[in-house]
Amino acid sequence: MNRSAEQQMNPLREGLSTRAVPQPCAIVIFGATGDLTHRKLIPALYNLAADGELPPAVAIIGFARRPKSDDDFRKEMEETTRNFSRQPVRDEIWKTFSQSLSYHQSEFGDEAGYKSLGERLEKVDNERGTRGNRLFYFAAGPDQFETILKNLKAAGLNRATEGSWARVIIEKPFGTDLASARELNRVVSNAFDESQTYRIDHFLGKETAQNILVLRFANAIFEPLWNTRYIDHLQITAAETLGVEARAGYYETAGALRDMVQNHLLQLLCLVAMEAPTDLRADSIRDEKVKVVRALRRITGLEVAKNVLRAQYTEGAIGGQTVPGYRQEKGVDPKSMIETYVALRINIDNWRWADVPVYMRVGKRLPKSATEISVHFKKAPAVLFNRETVKIDQNVLVIRIQPDEGISLRMLAKIPGTSLRIEPVKMDFHYGTSFGKASPEAYERLLLDAMSGDATLFARRDEVEEAWTFIDPIEEAWHAKKDAPELYFYPAGSWGPEAADDLLARDARAWRRL
Amino acid sequence: MPATAETYSLGAPVEIGKIEQELKKLWREGEGAMTRASLMNLAAYSEQPGSLNDNTQLMAKITEDHACRAIVIEADCRSDENRVDAWISAHCHVSHTGNKQVCSEQISFLLKGGCTTQLPSIILSNLDSDLPFYLWWQGELHDPMDAQLWEWVDRFIYDSHDWKDFRAQMALVETAQREAKQRLVLCDLNWTRLDNLRFALAQFFDHPASHHRLAEISKVQIDFAPGFTSTALLFVGWLGAQLNWHIGEVKSSRELRFTETAGQHIDVELREHDGQPVHGVALTSGDVEFGVTYANCGDLLEVSRVQTGEKRIPQLLPAGNNDPVDLISEELIRGGPHHVYLNALNCVRHLL
Repeated sequence: MNRSAEQQMNPLREGLSTRAVPQPCAIVIFGATGDLTHRKLIPALYNLAADGELPPAVAIIGFARRPKSDDDFRKEMEETTRNFSRQPVRDEIWKTFSQSLSYHQSEFGDEAGYKSLGERLEKVDNERGTRGNRLFYFAAGPDQFETILKNLKAAGLNRATEGSWARVIIEKPFGTDLASARELNRVVSNAFDESQTYRIDHFLGKETAQNILVLRFANAIFEPLWNTRYIDHLQITAAETLGVEARAGYYETAGALRDMVQNHLLQLLCLVAMEAPTDLRADSIRDEKVKVVRALRRITGLEVAKNVLRAQYTEGAIGGQTVPGYRQEKGVDPKSMIETYVALRINIDNWRWADVPVYMRVGKRLPKSATEISVHFKKAPAVLFNRETVKIDQNVLVIRIQPDEGISLRMLAKIPGTSLRIEPVKMDFHYGTSFGKASPEAYERLLLDAMSGDATLFARRDEVEEAWTFIDPIEEAWHAKKDAPELYFYPAGSWGPEAADDLLARDARAWRRL
Repeated sequence: MPATAETYSLGAPVEIGKIEQELKKLWREGEGAMTRASLMNLAAYSEQPGSLNDNTQLMAKITEDHACRAIVIEADCRSDENRVDAWISAHCHVSHTGNKQVCSEQISFLLKGGCTTQLPSIILSNLDSDLPFYLWWQGELHDPMDAQLWEWVDRFIYDSHDWKDFRAQMALVETAQREAKQRLVLCDLNWTRLDNLRFALAQFFDHPASHHRLAEISKVQIDFAPGFTSTALLFVGWLGAQLNWHIGEVKSSRELRFTETAGQHIDVELREHDGQPVHGVALTSGDVEFGVTYANCGDLLEVSRVQTGEKRIPQLLPAGNNDPVDLISEELIRGGPHHVYLNALNCVRHLL
């Protein structure tokens, strides 16, 4: 959201609708043979190149253990990019783009590999004009982060020469609890300053997530109503039909709360609940977001059982196909107590949101995949149309994050006829219908922002740590030896356990039907 | 209601007074199968015989990316008759998410006689309310135009490349702008044609280390196609206005000399060749040459920066197309005024 300095200073940029091209740089991807690189990163970089958003002087160096030549790496990347790219791969563009790709084989713990990486980067600076700018992308497992960071530092690659920059992009998980997050942040900060660190949360790169601030602060009609006086409650849902797939190893140590709530869902909540920032600079926005996390009422001890519910899917059916239960999945402990579903009742203790509960739910193997935020407004006064004999629904504003991105507003209307019958109707805005052009993938936007030095859509250290201070007491209660809250079960293909419905029913509310 | 994915037909004839009623009927019949979408009113006006069909085809393509109420008007101003015929139709496309049939409606008019007097009433009574109004005028403008019309137009789209007398036509456009009580944005497709070239050239100077190169430009060469002198001059005007160059000497219609604020001269050479409207630009700044030229495939630009002793790294950037659908689409995704265009225009106005 920041306008880069170069855009303001280059007079030929004035009036051009396209954003400034980032400075030339070398991008080093650690974990270049992994899924993320194949499916997301290289296709995203290719799409940026095809749209003319990458600087001509860019070099992409894949860093991984397996022996491979530059040509082999390019061929592999071409194949996967053809499969996963948002737009079809054009031979002419790929030919030019692939010249920027190369492969650097090394163990993550091998010092010599970083020394030779440094030499390679210097060569690239001379040959391709990348000017000493480096972007290190950690697409490897989090257990490798410390090793990579130490070696980058030892090789002096964390420091940029004068007039250049060095940045690091870190993929989640940002720790598994507050202590490990602090430790990770300490390790990162030993090598890179906070201003050089970009913690990626791909939810924030989605068009609709970015549109939340526009919806709230560019339209005069919503903000006056956006508070405890007019809003009854908020709901945030992240449902997916997929099971644990090939991620059992990671998921068994994480669970839904750590995997989704600590990062994605709390980030969405921040965007919905934050105050207006003073300007659109990255830190102004992040300052406001972190205030929301700080204001979350901590759920501790016996309160956990009352306000948070965990569950695990059992055998069931998705789309007519029988699917196994979580404990039967490959790589999962048959006695696993890991949650694949969480529902929470959250309070934000600040002036704006006092007495407005936020209900959050996230789950695997639910009947459909959908992520959305719904704002449920208070009912109209109980006079005129709101009599006992007439059931009046609330007005609901729904922000659909994925799929079918858009916004809808439910309101009430009289059914034509001589009698007074009122039914809810929906005003619906779909990105896909109103704007013919497909949005760029989240990774495209985020990579471009990191290259341009715009950290707005990346999580800051204090945001991450504050989020863990909210999550940790819940995890502690779940893992307590005595009085640990129950783990519920739900059949795959259902909307979660009945207890999750009870969580809202106690407050005379219900989950929105998706 | 058409059931196929696309249609270029003018659709069903309707009485002028019953257009809205018939449109409602059209949507009612297709309810459930398709979604009507509209972000703007887009009217295309032409006096070219047969333009009704041609513009319907263009609208079918434009509405794939820009949902709108399309109003297509063909005017036969010399006709002795004084009548208006109207049709309604819909352009339907499967959305990019692949799960919806998204439709835009089109109202078509064939005007005979009394064009300038009929036009405002025809357009104003058929605008979709609360949506911006873009008027795409094809060909030459008339004198006098009805002031009532301009008050409603948000963006006025024209192609100055089509004008025989640039200055006279521009005077009419500027009169329209004065008469519009709200701010009317002028959108010249001849300028839009330069968007990708301007972007390709501008990106060389994004890096702060390149900024000084702008002050050291000494030579500009522009290759353009026959008939596109005005396009090339607008490009020169853009460089001049943005870099504070003042025109000094006009050696010939193809050789100009500008002076920048510090007194350095910039020689501009315009070279006419077959090819794209403006198919190549080269800037010389000290020992560096910045080049933008069309790649062989025609829809990509090859950009390169050549400095003595440095390896040349060519890059391919999107070039866009010079067809009306692409130009209009480019214009429709933009917002805001075109100050840069007006500055460029003023810089070379007397040469156009």
